[in-house]
Amino acid sequence: MNRIFEHPILGPLEDTELVRIFVDGEPVEARKGEVIAAALIATGKQYFRKTIKLQEPRGIYCGIGRCTDCVMTVNGVPNVRTCVTEVEEGMVIETQLGYGKWGRGINS
Amino acid sequence: MMDREIVVIGAGPAGLSAALEAARAGAEVLLVDENHKPGGQLFKQIHKFFGSKDHQAGVRGIDIGVQLLEEAKELKIDVWLNAEVCGIFNQNEVWIVRDKERSVTVRAERIILATGATENAVNFPGWTLPGVMGAGAAQTMINIHRVLPGQKVLMIGSGNVGVIVSYQLLQAGADVKAVVEAAPRLGGYGVHTAKVRRAGVPFYTSHTVLEARGKDHVESAVIGRIDERWKPIPGTEIELEVDTICIAAGLTPLVELAFAAGCRPVFSPVLGGMVPVHDAAMRTSLPSLYVAGDISGVEEASTAMEEGRMAGLSAARSLGHIDDATYRIRYEAVENRLLALRSGLFGQKRRDAKEQIVSQSQG
Amino acid sequence: MKDPRDVFICRCEEVTLREIEEAIEEGYTTVDDVKRITRAGMGLCQGRSCSKVIARLISEKTGIPLSDLLQTGYRYPVRPEKMMVLDNDGEGDE
Repeated sequence: MNRIFEHPILGPLEDTELVRIFVDGEPVEARKGEVIAAALIATGKQYFRKTIKLQEPRGIYCGIGRCTDCVMTVNGVPNVRTCVTEVEEGMVIETQLGYGKWGRGINS
Repeated sequence: MMDREIVVIGAGPAGLSAALEAARAGAEVLLVDENHKPGGQLFKQIHKFFGSKDHQAGVRGIDIGVQLLEEAKELKIDVWLNAEVCGIFNQNEVWIVRDKERSVTVRAERIILATGATENAVNFPGWTLPGVMGAGAAQTMINIHRVLPGQKVLMIGSGNVGVIVSYQLLQAGADVKAVVEAAPRLGGYGVHTAKVRRAGVPFYTSHTVLEARGKDHVESAVIGRIDERWKPIPGTEIELEVDTICIAAGLTPLVELAFAAGCRPVFSPVLGGMVPVHDAAMRTSLPSLYVAGDISGVEEASTAMEEGRMAGLSAARSLGHIDDATYRIRYEAVENRLLALRSGLFGQKRRDAKEQIVSQSQG
Repeated sequence: MKDPRDVFICRCEEVTLREIEEAIEEGYTTVDDVKRITRAGMGLCQGRSCSKVIARLISEKTGIPLSDLLQTGYRYPVRPEKMMVLDNDGEGDE
């Protein structure tokens, strides 16, 4: 578990509403309003996508929405920057392989 | 096309300060930022800033950020988020794309560029593995999103960012396995370096990272000693068991807009590379364009705020909102604060570099 | 250990050090030219993380001063946008 529950400066992690998202078909509990990348890092997910040319794994790199290394297919839409996009109830998130494909639940 | 007196590009500490100063002087300001939240890098800074009471010493970046935003709200400054500035034409037409779907052109009498800087890359084998990230990314994860990107961290770079983020990683509960520094001496503020040292983190000077290893994610890192020519010395390799590697190798000003618009550049290696030439009032070689913060040379949040004030003041005055006498008083106040911020071992270097840039603006 | 020349310089387009060095050796000695021939810098981050490195590599190989190389041709738009936004200049909001 990678969440920081207690912090010497920021204090305790406040309770918040939870939302249910699906990551590669598996249900995951996320905190309402947090970015997708944070929810995935909290579960210990190793990588978010595989690259186009060499199918190599990538995760977050810049963390602020500028480098696009963290993109995944969200609700059927590819290339969504997970470090700046907030989770929503029922969101379907898929590890993106290469370019990604449009359409719900399709990945190749 | 709509008209505005002053358009400020970038809502980080420099841009916010510029917008506030100009609005207080009575100018009509539009503040735009490409991100979905304002504040730039300010909200990641959970540590206390240095300086005297004037410079918000003892106040944390996050608190300053909240303050600035509240003031912007009170002054009813127009803020457009998710607004990307794609170009500046004829030195006064700002082409903005909102929400990635519609174009708007704003005609501005003055434009203040406060677009900040980006983290530098270090290209070692395995640097694209998940787990290798900018130090700023780790800082965002722990301080804003409250998740640890990993448990065992290698920090590359012992400058201010390197030691501050190392300390913050420790506060967040991570195990910082080592800090490596290519130079023979450490490069960050003594206060933070000491804190990290006291926590038992080893510092390796004249060392660099040679490789990140792992299948789908970082599993270990190899570091090694380098000679005076920065070449790795065979036989000195050490493998560290880490799952995260943070790169804190300096920042480079984000100058594309400024140069595409026609601002004259100058090379300032101390402050991050190419920067727009500007005078002490933060005006570039183009009379209607000003700069403030890291775009004008990488320093700190406190200098960014002062430069923002200077740019906002100067732009407002050039439009007649402030009389000369008032301007002189405020100008000197900001200049004195900047001088104080650019003192001491590290500050002096930045001060000299800034003076070099400003000297280029005369003639 | 991996071959250091297989290291990516451009993360977005997966362009290796080897490809960039080859381009420089073939006579492409500006950041823009290297970009055109290798695609480095043409990806989603628009050269944010690789331009400076490419400039340094060219400088090391050719002796051209870094400051000359860093003045690449910047062109609008400085952000990648969909074609449709070119067509719908609004009257201004608010």
